[in-house]
Amino acid sequence: MPPLRRLLIANRGEIAVRIVRACRDLGVSPVAVYAPIDADSPHVRLADDAFALPGDAPHDGYLNAPLLVDLARRAGASAIHPGYGFLAENPAFAAACEAAGIAFVGPPAEVLARCGDKAAARAAAAEAGVPVLPGTDPVGDDEAARAARAVGFPLLIKAVGGGGGKGIHLVRAPAELPAHLRLARGEAQTAFGDPRVYLERWLERSRHVEVQILADQQGRAVHLGERACSVQRRHQKLIEEAPAPGLDPGVRDALTDAAVRVATALGYRNAGTIEFLVEGDAFYFLEVNARIQVEHPVTEATTGVDLVASQLLIAAGEPLPFRQEDVRASGWAIECRISAEDPHGGFLPSLGRIDGVVEPAGPGIRVDSGLWVGQTVSRHFDPLLAKVIASGPTREAAIARARRALAEFAVSGVDTTIPFHLWALEQPAFVQGAYDVHFAEQWGGGPTLPEAERLAVLAAAAWFHRKRQRPALPTDGASPAWIAAARQEVLR
Amino acid sequence: MTARGAGDPAVTFEVTAGGRRHGVEVVPSNSALTVTVGGQPTAVRLDPAAGSECWRLWVEGLAVPVRVREVAGGLLVTVGAARVPVSVRRALPIPIRRATAATSADCLEVRAPMPGLIVSLPVGAGEPVAEGGTVAVVEAMKMQMDVPSPVSGRIEEIRVRPGQEVAGGQVLAVIRPVRAGEDDTSVGGSGA
Repeated sequence: MPPLRRLLIANRGEIAVRIVRACRDLGVSPVAVYAPIDADSPHVRLADDAFALPGDAPHDGYLNAPLLVDLARRAGASAIHPGYGFLAENPAFAAACEAAGIAFVGPPAEVLARCGDKAAARAAAAEAGVPVLPGTDPVGDDEAARAARAVGFPLLIKAVGGGGGKGIHLVRAPAELPAHLRLARGEAQTAFGDPRVYLERWLERSRHVEVQILADQQGRAVHLGERACSVQRRHQKLIEEAPAPGLDPGVRDALTDAAVRVATALGYRNAGTIEFLVEGDAFYFLEVNARIQVEHPVTEATTGVDLVASQLLIAAGEPLPFRQEDVRASGWAIECRISAEDPHGGFLPSLGRIDGVVEPAGPGIRVDSGLWVGQTVSRHFDPLLAKVIASGPTREAAIARARRALAEFAVSGVDTTIPFHLWALEQPAFVQGAYDVHFAEQWGGGPTLPEAERLAVLAAAAWFHRKRQRPALPTDGASPAWIAAARQEVLR
Repeated sequence: MTARGAGDPAVTFEVTAGGRRHGVEVVPSNSALTVTVGGQPTAVRLDPAAGSECWRLWVEGLAVPVRVREVAGGLLVTVGAARVPVSVRRALPIPIRRATAATSADCLEVRAPMPGLIVSLPVGAGEPVAEGGTVAVVEAMKMQMDVPSPVSGRIEEIRVRPGQEVAGGQVLAVIRPVRAGEDDTSVGGSGA
């Protein structure tokens, strides 16, 4: 391939900003694409050039593979970074890039296809001597009941084309199977355009641990340690950390070795994540996430390795500049995902217009963010707004810094998951590192504390008094005067 | 300077939070407020932190980030991990002014306490109104509040109509007290 001088970013939000920064660090010129609604967003402003996509709906824009390849060609870009989500794990898109002579920053199409075929990935893992959970190939409705008995309950129904935890259904008893199968199939069709589902055994008290892999085109694979991702809600991760708390060193070594074996067996290239369920000292391969992940910064914080820059170098054909024994992890890092969801209202998406933002900073704090004042949070896209990554020499230090940063983080205009995180970081189970995949269920809509109520009364009285004395801002959220006034308020 | 400066009268609210109703008095003092809830005064200050919803509440030597969001029927106040639905209602007299040259010296003007929309005007011109009786109902920030008459008297003039947007301080009605002159002590905002 030609040397990497210019790269098109086929994504939006915080990950697009992250890729712009990796480009800058390597002297690569970043080119953005944007849906109309994202025209003023940070990744567009930070890039050297930007192309408008024809519509806000994903299939018009960030999922429009032929258009993206064409735009890359027109921009003079020799590579496309797909980020995560959208086309990141789409073998046809990777193949289309390749056919156009454009480097796809990720695994080649055939590896994506192998990883996307969950049954094939599981078989490859088993062949590499890695424990796997009982599971099935894609199942039809007729054979599902028999297949489910063979797998055992509880089990998960998962979409073959799935990812990001979407469309997963937990089934505890045979009688529940048909209804969940129908729902899961419908969701899979809507979300991924593929109604095929498969079954996989579920472990009730398990923890979710994953291993970061980098593999170069010369065929060398290394791991960069593990991440714990058990703070989840409906299989959507909320908090991740590295390393995994309470993991026996022997289990950790076995897990990371297993991850490298799976990656090698799959012929993996570029950055990827091998997911496991851990129960006691036993662990089981789950699946491969063949992309850069949302939670990659916690690994960057503990290893000092720039994973996105590594992706670009690998895509450019460079060998990994370090060996396994050179990778040294130290300290602790915790990531909190700040999403436009209402944690007090069942984590429903909170749509609206952002009219004020203050992002935290300071020692041990990294914020990867796509937030901007004037941003419309729309139903079209993932609700992730930003990530707070807190790191320190110890887990306690990282938690303290995360709390400090969350208290500084102010987002006006939509509900966010910040209150959930403030709660989580105070919970004894989290503080002790003794939590499993059920942890987030304890939230239960948030605490009701007499002290919070007293402060709320004081705040409401002061707020009302203040509003009474100052003319209210015009309520037209679209008015530039209103935005200017909001900015002025921030600067006061 | 007294804690209760001229033109900065105490304002009383009725605040309902977590299903409990509190009588709340707010008295401005310098840059802060004294908010008295259930007889217990607390010095607080509320400063903007970000946009229209994020604030910093200074209370008892601590800075507490709060988010105040207007919703139908009141406010949602987020304090740390907790969210508290709060409704606030003005409960007592609003500042009014002595009559200006435009009206007879004996008359009092009733002004809008804040910018808003006139919902209704229960009393018509020429009709009597008791002290504390509702002269107008104003809606602002999705909350309705009664604008009470400061005196017993007769409505001399109504200067707005239902559905009209009004500015803060705009004269809504002019009232001629039944016994002119006796209610001067209740008149706030007249200054020294």
